[in-house]
Parts: sequence; structure tokens; C-alpha cells
Amino acid sequence: MLARQGLGLLRQPITSSLLSHSIKLSSTRLVLNRSISTIKASHEKEQELLIAQRKNRPESPHLTIYQPQLTWILSSFHRITGVALAGMFYALTCTYAATSILGISFDSASIVGAFATLPFIIKLGAKAAGAYPFAFHIFNGVRHLVWDFGSQLTIPGVYTTGYIVLAATGLLGTYLAFF
Amino acid sequence: MLSLTSRVGLARTSLPIRSSIPLLIRGIKTIPQPPGYIVGTVNDAYVPPKAHKLEGSYHWTSERLVALGLAPLTLAPLLGGTSTLLDSTLSVLVLYHSYTGFQSCIIDYIPKRVYGSLHNYAMYLLTFGTGVAGYGLYKIETSEEGGVSGIVKKIYTA
Repeated sequence: MLARQGLGLLRQPITSSLLSHSIKLSSTRLVLNRSISTIKASHEKEQELLIAQRKNRPESPHLTIYQPQLTWILSSFHRITGVALAGMFYALTCTYAATSILGISFDSASIVGAFATLPFIIKLGAKAAGAYPFAFHIFNGVRHLVWDFGSQLTIPGVYTTGYIVLAATGLLGTYLAFF
Repeated sequence: MLSLTSRVGLARTSLPIRSSIPLLIRGIKTIPQPPGYIVGTVNDAYVPPKAHKLEGSYHWTSERLVALGLAPLTLAPLLGGTSTLLDSTLSVLVLYHSYTGFQSCIIDYIPKRVYGSLHNYAMYLLTFGTGVAGYGLYKIETSEEGGVSGIVKKIYTA
């Protein structure tokens, strides 16, 4: 549209007062035209130019540019706690498998016996390190299932369920670790 | 004038091409990526990945069903007692849930696009580890009173 309007203006009769100005403009344009050179390029050449242009693109920034928000912080904690819990599960089951294959005597009594000899504060710390991620992953998992049914998929919904998950994690985690 | 030439992209063509050098990420050789991480020309049509029997919407639904089943099974030992059958079901579902979770992590952090065959080795290792864990699970369920939740309970009351 703009280009058309510009063309229309050019077609208008040039008055004497505008004439000198338009000459100036056209002379400037001539200089510009000379400095911008267009190239007749083949398809391959165009592709080369495109790739060269892509190399000039900046790297996309990482998570650190974002303000910490409940939405993505809880999301990352869901994965971190999931990996931690699954790692503990694999560690336990694989230890049973390995000791069984290698003929080393190993059962729950030996784990519990070793755990019982630890100082109280370390036992509490270990229990809390298991309880809070467990509680969080359970509740946030339910939150994900609620989303999977198409519910609470709004910003207020995400925040409300997020705070519910945090509160429930605090309660269940504390109960499991301390009582 | 400088900006005009650099915009075209001609000005930088003489620079060494970064993507031609194999990149080292944490000492691991990775596949060099094309500039802008874009493959092909602007006119290339989208090529959808081949349909896979075990992946897609059914796969997604099966994962949700497992997660749905896990919720009550996890709460059962917390609220009351458990049985070998309940604990075995819970443990097998947890194993599958962990397996798919680890798979997602490998897909995200050891992508085939960058790591090539290392991605496959990670997947094989995970599958092998899951098999070993499955055998360990069988040992636990057949030898331990209360299964996995019984062990966890004993540790937490120790």
C-alpha cells in the first residue's frame, strides 16, 4: 500500500517549489543506488548467502535470562525429583540384583542395620532428602494429570494448583521425615 | 554502509566455518550443527518422522494410565497395609514410569542430533539397567517381607 501511495505521489505534477528538492532527493538516491549492489545469484549461491546469514545469528539465551517463576521452577523440580527418586529406586533394585548374581549376602536387615547406626541428624537429613522430593513428585504428578484432563490450564489455575502442591508437599514431607 | 554489507552475509563468508569443526562438549565429541541449527533451504517441505508402533498418542496415553494407577498404589502403603501383590504392581509401574522418565531425559539431554550413536548407547544402557532392576525387583518381592515399600518403611522407622 505504501509503495503504491509513493508511486501516486510521483505521478503528481511537480510544482516549481518542489522541483529543486526533488532533484536533491534523486541525487542522494543515486549515491545510495550506487553503493547497494544487487547480485544475480543462482539457487546455490542464494543458499550460500542464507547459510552465511544464519552464522551471524546470535546464540539463544538460556534459563538464566528468565525471572524465577512458580511455573517453570516447579516444572524443573518435577524432573529433578523424578530423576532422584528413580535413581534411588534403580540403586536399590540393582543392588539386590548385583548382590544376588555375585552371591553376596544382602537384605533389608543389612540396610536398616547400617542406617540405624548413623547419627540422628544424618538419619533425619536422609529421611527428609527422600520424603520431600517424594511428596512433591506425587502431588505435582497429580497436578500434571489434572492438566492432562484439560483442567486448570490457565495462569490462575497453574498458580493455585502450584501453591496447593507446595503446601501439600510441606505437610506430607514433614510428616514422613519427622513423624 | 558497513551494516548494509554485513546484513547480506557476504562479509563473513571468509571467516572459518565454526560448524565444520567437531565440537567437544565436556570432552565428548559431538556432531557439528549447521549454522542457526537449520537444515536445508527455505523451500524444503516438512518431512514428518515415520510412524512408530510404540510411540505417539497411545504411548502418551499409556504413560498417563500408569501415572493414574501409581497415585492410589503409592498412597496405599502410606495409609494402611500392603500386600506382595499390591507392592509388586506398584513396583513394576514405578519401574516403567522411571524407564520412560529416563528415556525422556536421554532424548532431551543426549539428543541424537548432537550425540549420534552415544544417544543409542545411552538408551541401550538404560534398557539393560531396567532389566537388571527388574531382576532385582523380582528378588525383593520374593525374599523381602512387604517388598519395596516394606524396605522403605523399615528404613524410615529405624
